[in-house]
Amino acid sequence: MRRPDRFFDGAARSLSQRLATGMTRRSFLGRMGGAVLAVTGGAAVAAGVRPEESEAFHFCGHIWTTGSCPNPLGLPRIDRHGYPLRAGDGKRIDNLGRVVNSLGYPISASGERLIGPDGKPLPRGPRTRLCEEWVRERFGHNARQQGSWYRCCNDQIRKLVDCCSPSRRRINGDASLTGYCWNGNRVFCVMYYETGLKC
Amino acid sequence: MVETFTPAVCGSRRRQRLALVGFAVGALVASAFVGAALGLLGSVLGARLTLAAAGLALLAAAREGGVLRFPIPQARRQVPERWRTELPLPLWSAGYGAGLGAGLFTFQPVSTFWVACAAAVALGKPLTAALCFSAYGTGRTLMTVLPRRGSDPTRAVEAIVGRRRLLLRANVVALLVCAGLLIAAPVASGAVTTLGPGLDPAVDATTLARAQRDSGGTSVLIEPSGESAVVIPDASLPALDGDLLAYTDSVGIKVIDWRTGASLAQVDGPVSKPALEWPRLAFIRTDATYKRLIVADFTDPAAPTERQIALSAVEDDLGRPSLSSGRIAWHKATIRASNVFVERLDTGVRTLIARSRIALEANPSLTSTRIVWVEERARSASLRTRLFGRRRVRTIYTTTGRTRLLWTTALAGRSAYVTRWSQLTGDSTLVRVNF
Repeated sequence: MRRPDRFFDGAARSLSQRLATGMTRRSFLGRMGGAVLAVTGGAAVAAGVRPEESEAFHFCGHIWTTGSCPNPLGLPRIDRHGYPLRAGDGKRIDNLGRVVNSLGYPISASGERLIGPDGKPLPRGPRTRLCEEWVRERFGHNARQQGSWYRCCNDQIRKLVDCCSPSRRRINGDASLTGYCWNGNRVFCVMYYETGLKC
Repeated sequence: MVETFTPAVCGSRRRQRLALVGFAVGALVASAFVGAALGLLGSVLGARLTLAAAGLALLAAAREGGVLRFPIPQARRQVPERWRTELPLPLWSAGYGAGLGAGLFTFQPVSTFWVACAAAVALGKPLTAALCFSAYGTGRTLMTVLPRRGSDPTRAVEAIVGRRRLLLRANVVALLVCAGLLIAAPVASGAVTTLGPGLDPAVDATTLARAQRDSGGTSVLIEPSGESAVVIPDASLPALDGDLLAYTDSVGIKVIDWRTGASLAQVDGPVSKPALEWPRLAFIRTDATYKRLIVADFTDPAAPTERQIALSAVEDDLGRPSLSSGRIAWHKATIRASNVFVERLDTGVRTLIARSRIALEANPSLTSTRIVWVEERARSASLRTRLFGRRRVRTIYTTTGRTRLLWTTALAGRSAYVTRWSQLTGDSTLVRVNF
């Protein structure tokens, strides 16, 4: 009888082979994803994952290992320009995680401006792009949105975006990969944008 | 002493148990009391004691490691044997426990106890120090409780003595770790004291002022040390300079002698957020388009002169300024970034103290030597400080969550005051951080 660990290794290897064949635009990520799965022997997880369904390593659509870009509330959801949004409902948030109106003033669930301890409406605070501003300030290197790929998540098309920089270390702390970055940049961290288009 | 808690000495197994309970209670209460007292002493003294405690820990480690030799304070006493014959069992057993649990009245084989005392003072928190010290009392109790039924009660002690060299080495390591933690704990170096409800602190030497809000409106409470408090009704945003108070009301800003009520100056109109270093008064003037940080000079009260220091769009935030020793500090927060500035009023030389495109750097206060300000992020808010002329920034207080946000500050010497408030309820409390 095969040892359990060897059984899972075999399953992961066969899965990686399936992923490596029949790929088109997803071929790069598919191959690399399969190789990672084979190495880690994560057959139990991989068996339930299909690229089309795109169950993520830490959010839907992200089947690779690069960590999220720094963000206010834990998930790097952005608008089309790279500014932070609340992951659950897509509302605009500022850098302090407060829901804000179109002018940037923090508001309550009912849309009224939040009040400070002095009884007056709170002033607005910074709301800046997760890639271009947050990464630059936290990690000290120039970063910008470059490549992206698309996945179907929650019945709508999600755009996953690479935040690319010249750094040879990604946000995880280990070596970064080219991914979909160009001009000598590599993937530092990832973010996502919900297009709202049905898939 | 361990041999005391046996059925033979106590009179029966039941009395032995009673004696052990008494000892345990005495030891725990006494050790907790010593910890609480030391923590209370620390909260009164405040300031810089963590470094002293760290130094003591290093000295102790050197002593225990054999590098240095010096005597340590100790009372080479044993528990009074006569208590067993003169006092009832519950009393003498509790007394034994208290005497040993306190740690101050007995033999000290190593200096670690005194390092713990110094650390408790440095911590400045009576309850936490009491809890920590009760571990000492627990250890004392275990030495009497652990010897098993029928076995020689001194065997546990002898077992420890047999491992003395290992224990001494472990003790040295523990002291070094303790020293490291004390050195690396800037937040713990500040004794934090809650000063009751209020916001917008202002402080000058021995006088603290704060704004208070209630259903009737806002007032300013002035609390001079050792004197009765003074209340200024319909006032907010206090600024102190000795006996002088500047505050905002419905008309504008007033400067008065808070002891006599005499008025010294008044600026009417859409002005607020005064800072005072008489005859200079700084404030924010808001119009339809801009917010302006103005410094008014009342050297000639009949003809004050004004100078604009900073400007922002009306949508942005130009923060409550602080004046001290010829410098002015303020923050400017836009949707793009936040900055804390200091400018020398005589030369106009401006220094950027803090800037962030992520965090909200705001609400600075300064003295002649240093500045404090609030750094707010999504999950935490911190009180930061820096000496003028140095680049190193320290964090002296941190809060987390939306119910413990930080707002305006004040600074006097090595005591920082900050408004801590809840976004959920709007309630605010003043907190003092000694560092």
